Amino acid sequence: MGFLRTVAVSSTTTAVTAAALAINSLSPSSSSSYNHNFTKPFLNSSSSIGNRFELTKTLIKPPSALHMDTKPAPKHDAELPEVMTEFMVDMSCEGCAKSVKNKLQTVDGVKTIDVDLPNQVVRIFGSAPVKTMAESLQQTGKKARLIGQGSPGDMLISAAVAEFKGPDVFGVVRLTHVSMELARIEANFSGLSPLKKHGWCINEFGDLTRGVASTGKTFNKALGDLGTLEVDEKGEAFYSGVKNNLKISDLIGRAIAVYGTEDRSADSGVAAAVIARSAGVGENYKKLCTCDGTTIWEATNADYVTSKV
Amino acid sequence: MQAALAAMAAHSILFSAPAASHSLLFPISNPNTISLQSSFHGVSLKPSIARQSLILSATAPKPLTVVAAVKKAVAVLKGTSSVEGVVTLTQEENGPTTVNVKISGLAPGPHGFHLHEFGDTTNGCISTGPHFNPNGHTHGAPEDEIRHAGDLGNIIANADGVAEATIVDSQIPLTGPNAVVGRAFVVHELADDLGKGGHELSLSTGNAGGRLACGVVGLTPI
Repeated sequence: MGFLRTVAVSSTTTAVTAAALAINSLSPSSSSSYNHNFTKPFLNSSSSIGNRFELTKTLIKPPSALHMDTKPAPKHDAELPEVMTEFMVDMSCEGCAKSVKNKLQTVDGVKTIDVDLPNQVVRIFGSAPVKTMAESLQQTGKKARLIGQGSPGDMLISAAVAEFKGPDVFGVVRLTHVSMELARIEANFSGLSPLKKHGWCINEFGDLTRGVASTGKTFNKALGDLGTLEVDEKGEAFYSGVKNNLKISDLIGRAIAVYGTEDRSADSGVAAAVIARSAGVGENYKKLCTCDGTTIWEATNADYVTSKV
Repeated sequence: MQAALAAMAAHSILFSAPAASHSLLFPISNPNTISLQSSFHGVSLKPSIARQSLILSATAPKPLTVVAAVKKAVAVLKGTSSVEGVVTLTQEENGPTTVNVKISGLAPGPHGFHLHEFGDTTNGCISTGPHFNPNGHTHGAPEDEIRHAGDLGNIIANADGVAEATIVDSQIPLTGPNAVVGRAFVVHELADDLGKGGHELSLSTGNAGGRLACGVVGLTPI
C-alpha cells in the first residue's frame, strides 16, 4: 500500500490525525482501487477497462487492433488549446472505421485520430471544437456520442459539464482541463432571447432550489465571469474559448448561470445549471444502461420514464 | 468510508501543528508561510475546528482539501414527467453523511435510489456511468458490506406519490476524492432488489428499471 508517499507530522495529539492514521492501516485493496484513478487506460489497456466497466466486458472483445494515424498539423487559427476528445461511433468494420478517419482528417485542428474498432471508440487529439467534430461525424452517417474529454496524462477530474434542461433554456456547457491553470470551455444554448446579449458566469454554489437566485455570487470575483453570449435570430448561442486560472476541480458542484442582461444584474437571472463531473478519456465505455436496457445509440439527455402514478 | 479514507490517506500528507495559522499545505510549499485557502470554497471554517484542521493533498498539481467542518450539498431532481424533488446532504467533520430526500410525483411503493459516478446526463443514463463504486464492489443494500458506495437502497412513496426519507450513510462523503459533489442522484421506476433478486442485472444495478428523475449534487451555502 502506498505508505511511502505518506508523511505525517504531528506535534499535537489530534483525534482527526490519529483516526486518519489508524484507518490508514486498513484495507490494502482500497489503495489499488484508488490508484486506478491515476492510470487512465489511454492506449487501450483492455484489462483496466474491463475491470472498471463490468458489463461492457461481456459485450466487447478485448481491443486488439489499434490504428494510430498522424498527419501534419493543419493551418488553423489555433483558438482552442489541444485536448483529447473521445467519441463512441457506431462502426462495425474496418471499412467504416477508415471512412470515419478519412472524414475527420479533413477537419481543421484535428491532429491525431486513433480508431479503436473493437470498443467502437474514436479518440481525436487537437484543437477542433466539439461542435465541428460532431458535425463531421454526423456527415459520415454513423451515430456518434461524445463519451470523454481531457488532456493526456491528466489525473483526477479532467472534464465537467453543465446541462440546462429547460423548460425555456436548453444547453450544454463543457469545461475541459487543459493544464493546471487553463480550461477550455465550449457551450451551446437554445431558447434564449433572439439577438440579445446575455451575460453568463460561474456562480459559487450549485444550489438550484430557487433557480439562479440560490447560486450565490460570481465564483472568485472576476475569475468566474465568462463574458457575454451573443444570441442569434433563432435564440441560439454558441461559444468556444479558454479561461486562464480556472481549475476544473475547483468548479465541480458550482453553477453556470445565464442572465437576461449583459451586466448580470441580480434579478435578471434566466437559467442555471450545476457543474457536474463528466468522464475523462477512457473513463466511461459504458454502452448499455443496465437499469432499463437503453443502449448508447438510443440514449438522450431526456430519456426519462413517465411515472405510472 | 474507511476504505475510502485509507485510500485518501495513502496518498496524502497529513500535517498538524500547534501554531495559530493552519491550512492547506502543498507538498511544495514552505510550512512557515501557510495561508488559509481551500479548493472547496463553499465551506467556511469554524474557528474551533480550524485549530486542528486535517489537510489532505493528493498531488501537487491537483490538491484535494478536506477541511473539518459542517459541509452541505444539495441536488434538485427533475424528470420529463411530474417527478421532482430535493435531496439535501449534510456531513459533520468526517462523520457519516445525512441525506434528506423528498421526491413527489412517484407511483406509490418502493423506488431504487442511487448515486452515479458522473453527473453528466448528455447521453442519458449512459453518461452518468455506473453506480458510484470507488471500491469496485458488486451491487448491494445500503447496510451490506459489499455494495457500491452509491447504493442507497429504496425510497418508498406513500399513497400521494411522495417519498420522504432520511438516509445516514458513511460511504458518501462531501469532500475528498470520493466526494459526491458533482455526481448524480437517480430515482428509478422500480424497486431495487438490493442485489438479491436473482435477475441477471441484480448484481450490477438491482434491476430497478428506467430513470424517473435525476439531479446533480451541488455546493450550497452553510
